[in-house]
Amino acid sequence: MKKFDVIIIGGGHNGLVASSYLAKKGKKVLVIEKNEHVGGLAEYANSLSCISPIIKKELNINIPNIKDTDYIISLEDNQNHTILEDKNGKLSFVKTNADEDDQKTFLSIINNYKLFSKTLGSFMHQKPPRVKSGKRSDLFQLMSMGWKIRKLGKKNMRELLRVIGLNIADDLEDNLNNDNLKGLLSHESVLGSNLGPRSPGSILTLLYKQAINDNIFNLKKIEVTNYINQLEDCCKKNTVEIIKSSEVRKIVTKNNSVTGIQLNNNEVIESACVMSNADPKTTYLNLLGAEILDTDFIRRIKNFRNKGNVAKLELVLENEINIKNIDKKMYGKFIYAPNIKYIEHAFNANKYNHYSKNPCLEFYVNDNTLSANIYYVPYLINASHQENEIIEKCVAVLSKFIPDMNIRKQELITPNQMEEKYNISGGHWHHGDLEIDQLLMMRPFYGSSQYSTPVNGLYLCSAGTHPGGGLTGINGLNAAKKIVEDLK
Amino acid sequence: MNKEKISYKKPLLETPFHKRTSEHCYANDWYRWAGYKVAKEYSSTELEYTSMRNTAGVIDITPMHKYEIKGKDAKKFINKLITKNITNIQSNQVAYGIWCNEDGMVIDDGTIFCLNENHYRIFCAERNLNWFCDTATGFNVTIEDISSSIAALAFQGPLSCKILNLLKVENIENLKPFHFDNYKLENQNVTISRTGFSGDLGYEIWCDPSQAIDVWDSLFKFNRDYKVLAAGMNSLEMVRIEAGFIQPNADFMSAEQALRPNRMRNPYELGLGWLVNLDKEYFTGKQALIRHKEKGPEKKLVGLDVEGDKPAVGSVLYDNSKKNIAKEIGIVTAAMWSPVLKSNIAIGFVNKEYYKLGSNVYAEIYHPEELDYRKIWAECKVVKKQFFNNPRRNAIPAFI
Repeated sequence: MKKFDVIIIGGGHNGLVASSYLAKKGKKVLVIEKNEHVGGLAEYANSLSCISPIIKKELNINIPNIKDTDYIISLEDNQNHTILEDKNGKLSFVKTNADEDDQKTFLSIINNYKLFSKTLGSFMHQKPPRVKSGKRSDLFQLMSMGWKIRKLGKKNMRELLRVIGLNIADDLEDNLNNDNLKGLLSHESVLGSNLGPRSPGSILTLLYKQAINDNIFNLKKIEVTNYINQLEDCCKKNTVEIIKSSEVRKIVTKNNSVTGIQLNNNEVIESACVMSNADPKTTYLNLLGAEILDTDFIRRIKNFRNKGNVAKLELVLENEINIKNIDKKMYGKFIYAPNIKYIEHAFNANKYNHYSKNPCLEFYVNDNTLSANIYYVPYLINASHQENEIIEKCVAVLSKFIPDMNIRKQELITPNQMEEKYNISGGHWHHGDLEIDQLLMMRPFYGSSQYSTPVNGLYLCSAGTHPGGGLTGINGLNAAKKIVEDLK
Repeated sequence: MNKEKISYKKPLLETPFHKRTSEHCYANDWYRWAGYKVAKEYSSTELEYTSMRNTAGVIDITPMHKYEIKGKDAKKFINKLITKNITNIQSNQVAYGIWCNEDGMVIDDGTIFCLNENHYRIFCAERNLNWFCDTATGFNVTIEDISSSIAALAFQGPLSCKILNLLKVENIENLKPFHFDNYKLENQNVTISRTGFSGDLGYEIWCDPSQAIDVWDSLFKFNRDYKVLAAGMNSLEMVRIEAGFIQPNADFMSAEQALRPNRMRNPYELGLGWLVNLDKEYFTGKQALIRHKEKGPEKKLVGLDVEGDKPAVGSVLYDNSKKNIAKEIGIVTAAMWSPVLKSNIAIGFVNKEYYKLGSNVYAEIYHPEELDYRKIWAECKVVKKQFFNNPRRNAIPAFI
């Protein structure tokens, strides 16, 4: 039987990044993927995320930008849409009914957020420090974090500390008049997290996502399939072995140390080091088993908030899609979140585990296909969604802007289906909410930070670890570095 | 507004024995225990104590928390919960155990009754349902709080077996310590265990609440010759200090309830290291306890033989006979004058240099005397916590 230095459970993009890096460092690596192809949830992403330049450099990945200019369109019922243009990261208004003052303030708010998220961004690529570890490196890192915030200057530091726990609605209502602009920014802050515009901490979530993606509207378009293929090639080049269509049933341990994994067909593969790309809850409760974990730790696993609430809708229409009142040149990311109240009302339903009757949407069109993220569609425990009803509500919203909606094909993927397909408990994009108590050294939770776990030889590299979701690949890289350091 | 619905106006619950305990409770002095009221003192604490040490005393312990553990993985679950290994426990056997959190700090102690391989009951002083349920994650067990469906009496004292024998409880004298069985007591089916809190011969009687009054009455049946008394919580406190039993939230803070992290205690500090089995494959807190054991306790709970006759209640302990240069090295958690041992005893924490048996420490006792305090600088000798341990406690057959 073959022996491996490291076994990686799950061939999602973080798993692939980690395996290529480890293989490059001379480790024998095996990746086990449940589905027929690798990539995991990345294929689901609407694909406009940003891969960390560090990954590109480390693994020689080359991703061309498709377009220099992107458009963001915030739709309004009265067809007075706001259109923003993003030219290599520079935002400007193309069309809006907001007055000049509002436009200026809007751009300055975004610039401010950009500045703050740049400060946060400097923590993104490192492994987060561990509090009270007693190690000098952790202390140094904590101090440097503090110093970076201090370096913003007195005024900006105060402003950052003021808004960091604030809800986005308050900040926007203080500064802006135009409802559509407020809705647009609120949308970015709540999409993919369990927050409404009035939930405390929604600004932090926005800043954090911006820090991950390097863009507040998350626009840099890349070809996900291309990226995943390149990663897979990179793995193959470095002689990483990948087993597809095979599921791991259990992580085998002895005396609090990993000894290998057991596949669904009962085959056992030995290794003293296993890295899980599954989300933390699945890894601990299903793969490892709660029996060998301390009760306090189990409590923290159970309290990890990972309830997804975004569904994906894929529509194919009979004819080419035309959106009312918008020039075809300017098609880009469409957002329907007309004002704060609308989003907050949609969020209300989510609190009681109902889907929103008036959902918020984000969608892209391409010829006659339309792919949308719908929220809020909560993850349901022991229940299923009325899928047709959800689609109906969405189509009702869409038909306000698309005159002839003759649907040829429709497909809805709810968080529950996402859970099943990709083995993500809760069906959450980021494997867990990006909120203040689940970030940095607290991600996923105390006792499991810095990619390590209470079990010797078991590591985490999924989006449930620092720095969280998105297609950065940093999780995989940092986790792999940690293993290399530990195996020394 | 309906008065009954106002929670703060809802009185404390009454135990199934309340009809009798309230008759006996001349002092009408009640103690609040887990939402129930039980007698603190019936008429005289000393008298009740004396009955427990000389004849037998009856204590209503119904408010004690009782949990039923059932299922295929019941034994595995308990082995994960407690620090001791109970793999070899047999039916009708009772185990004493403690459970710790992930930092190896003690949460509570309790007795575990094994009804059969897949069925156990845990009796403990604090609420633990939440902890048990979280610990049960991944195990095939059901955990139920059965606190209100079992009435319980502690029947403690040198004549307890004799009286049960006179009541024609068959073969009771051959019940081994830390065992239990089902018996007939005056036509009532009850469970009797040879366990207790007094350090002497004693039993605990478990029955259905509907039988409570009959069971209570039968224990007092031979009172003409053997003066059995109902004993309150104050007298129970006296016997448990003499026996050297420790109590959560009195001698140490339960790790689930302590707010200040440095108030939590590990088993080695409490002198309960013998209950920790580090060879066991897995239990909550194992990794931390390995570290604690290696390091050795910084302080330890010990028994103290105090000079003089004034109880050192709440005293601070010092290292030197000269007050002006003495340094603080510990604190007393429980203290009393022991009538049966004729000595002044205390339980307390002392720092690591002083927990060796025979060490000398000094207690500053504030003794109230008619609206004034007399400050006494008393020498104390570190001794074993078990001040009172009568051979009757473990004798088989039991003393009749």
